[in-house]
Amino acid sequence: MKKSIILFVLTILLTGCSDKELKVPLEDIGMVSTLSFDYIDEEMMKLTVAIPQFSPEAKENTQLFSVTTDMISKGIVEIEMQSDKKIVLNQLRVVLFNEEFAKHGRMRKLIRHLYRDSSVGNKVLIAIVKENGEEVLKADYPDKPNVNLYINDLLQPSINTAFNPNTNIHDFIYTQTSTVHDSIVPIVDKKNGIIKIEEVAVFKGKEMIESIPHDEALIIQALQGRKNLAPLALDLGDGEEDKLVLDLISNKVKMKSNKNMEAPKLSITLKMEGTLVDYVGYRGGELESLEKITKLEEDIDKHTSKQVEEFLDKLKELEVDPIGLAEEFRKHYHGKWDKEKTNDIISKLQVDVKVETSIISTGNLK
Amino acid sequence: MSPKNLKVLGVYHVIFLVQNTMVGTGLLSAPQRLSVLGYSQVLMPIYFGIIATITLWPMVWICSQYKGDNLFRINELLLGKWMGKGINVLIVLHFTLLIAAIISNYMNLIQSTALPEQTTTVTILLVLLLLTYIVNGGIKTIARFCTLAFCLAIPMVYFLRWGIEKGDLSHIFPLFNFTSQEFFKAMQQGYLSILGYELIMFYFPYIIDQKKAFKHAMIGIWITISLVFITTVVSVMYYSEWQLEHVEFSVLHLFKAGEFSFVERIDIMGITFWVSLILTTAAAYLWSARKGLDSIRSKKNKYHVYFITAAIFGVIMLPVNREFQQKLFDASIYIEYIVILWPIFLCLIHLVRKKQVKSK
Repeated sequence: MKKSIILFVLTILLTGCSDKELKVPLEDIGMVSTLSFDYIDEEMMKLTVAIPQFSPEAKENTQLFSVTTDMISKGIVEIEMQSDKKIVLNQLRVVLFNEEFAKHGRMRKLIRHLYRDSSVGNKVLIAIVKENGEEVLKADYPDKPNVNLYINDLLQPSINTAFNPNTNIHDFIYTQTSTVHDSIVPIVDKKNGIIKIEEVAVFKGKEMIESIPHDEALIIQALQGRKNLAPLALDLGDGEEDKLVLDLISNKVKMKSNKNMEAPKLSITLKMEGTLVDYVGYRGGELESLEKITKLEEDIDKHTSKQVEEFLDKLKELEVDPIGLAEEFRKHYHGKWDKEKTNDIISKLQVDVKVETSIISTGNLK
Repeated sequence: MSPKNLKVLGVYHVIFLVQNTMVGTGLLSAPQRLSVLGYSQVLMPIYFGIIATITLWPMVWICSQYKGDNLFRINELLLGKWMGKGINVLIVLHFTLLIAAIISNYMNLIQSTALPEQTTTVTILLVLLLLTYIVNGGIKTIARFCTLAFCLAIPMVYFLRWGIEKGDLSHIFPLFNFTSQEFFKAMQQGYLSILGYELIMFYFPYIIDQKKAFKHAMIGIWITISLVFITTVVSVMYYSEWQLEHVEFSVLHLFKAGEFSFVERIDIMGITFWVSLILTTAAAYLWSARKGLDSIRSKKNKYHVYFITAAIFGVIMLPVNREFQQKLFDASIYIEYIVILWPIFLCLIHLVRKKQVKSK
């Protein structure tokens, strides 16, 4: 007992012999919450960091710094020279790249750098900016608390933007290195003082090759089996007016491949259940009877399966597989599977799409 | 010490001693070590469990032939005094290296994730201090600490759920997609993640119910195996094959996928909890090494444990480059495979020399 007390006192006293504390106090740390990369040329990029300003005396609520650099860490060191604080990435939330950057295939290297850094979490969201990331961060959003929160909240999963793949660092690295996936990343665009997610970028390998509109991006999410999908707005009319909005309640996907590498065939069954919330068109008041609803369901099935097929044809042309359809073939294949096999499958793939919609209610009125 | 008060380990003590000495940093890097097999690694832990059960049997058998003696004494009895002592010296040296490897591995992990801006010397000293404190309490304290560590660590299984939610179960197919070469390589690199059960040869004399020791040890082994199995399955679901191969401590990255509104980085919590698992493993080895030193010098001395601890600190702090140190640690882990097979050899000698030894 006596010994342990002496030991205890000694350990406390001995701390006096240690060097003076070199740690930076919390007030002097600038926690970056948004990073943005803009393309300059093959080597150089413009790095912009946004740090929330907590001091009430400052006029702006976000600190912004931009430097031209060729490496992230080098850029951060340079920013530290301009800043009054020590820059750390522990609270990083969003990374923005401009479209040119993505098209030149340089995203993978930078994101791998962040993935390696243990202070950066894996849930950091990634987005592509149409024009210029620096401008997005530097613009004024008078009705928003600050740009960091705004962008972060916008990119978070939400039912009305269910087409948004919410790509984070892990997802990007996963799809980049997976042998059956190609990456997809949301594209944001600044228009008239607001930021909007409109499209989704599709990657082939490390380069972005195409941007697809949000209704096609929703098909990707539906086929990947996402449970909560955005309300589906459909225009069934051929000449006649026939528009509706379906609130989707559940969504189930079943895929079955023929396991044949030479003539790959895939049958996809998509089961959707939803509430009819809005309808404009010739069916009008007739929708009260169940038979008419069944007829409407059939029309929706036909329309949607055509849409899905057209979209899959588009992917086939591009030879990309953001959905991961090739997984259905990989899991039956013995031997090494690589990206070439996926591309091969996709280019030959025959799909048979079946959509089964059921409208389970049309609201309270009969 | 009379044999009566020597026996202190009850049923649960045995189960958790076996279970917890097997879990160290090995579990954290198991998916990466098995990554030669890619997605087909899921069933590996099950094979490991079968091998562990098979190799456990000769250990328990040889120990039950010499009920009051541990492996050090059995070595001397079967191989003669000098050869036995020689082997024992090697075992003690090897254990010293192994504990150094365990602690240094964990310190690397701490350095690269939790404390990237600090040196770890003080942390190592604190860990070693705690280690000697636990070991001085005797094998029963270690067993109790193991139970505590198990209860502290088991809730972490819950944190794997995000990996399951996001992952894709179809990754595990096809189940047997590997060549025999890949299989043996994975076996060689991965088996060390479940090492630790062989220590039963050293604390066997302390077990109260020696007849059922095999059964209890087996329960311990299969608890660990199921934990390793769960982590490999979730890793396979969550990662791409490239990530399995390149992400160090991939299990911690699984915790990183988690989301709570009140805590941001669960992986850091995981690492800090892990220290209790490291301490149990290292404590059991250190206790065995101390017993070894006791038997080599043929007397009990309470300073033996401090000698070994100082040696461990020396090895960790060895002023050589990291490559050499790593090679040394790897070697110590491969020697452990010999320790596992050693009782089979002893069993054979025992059968040959049975009469001679008995008549002594």
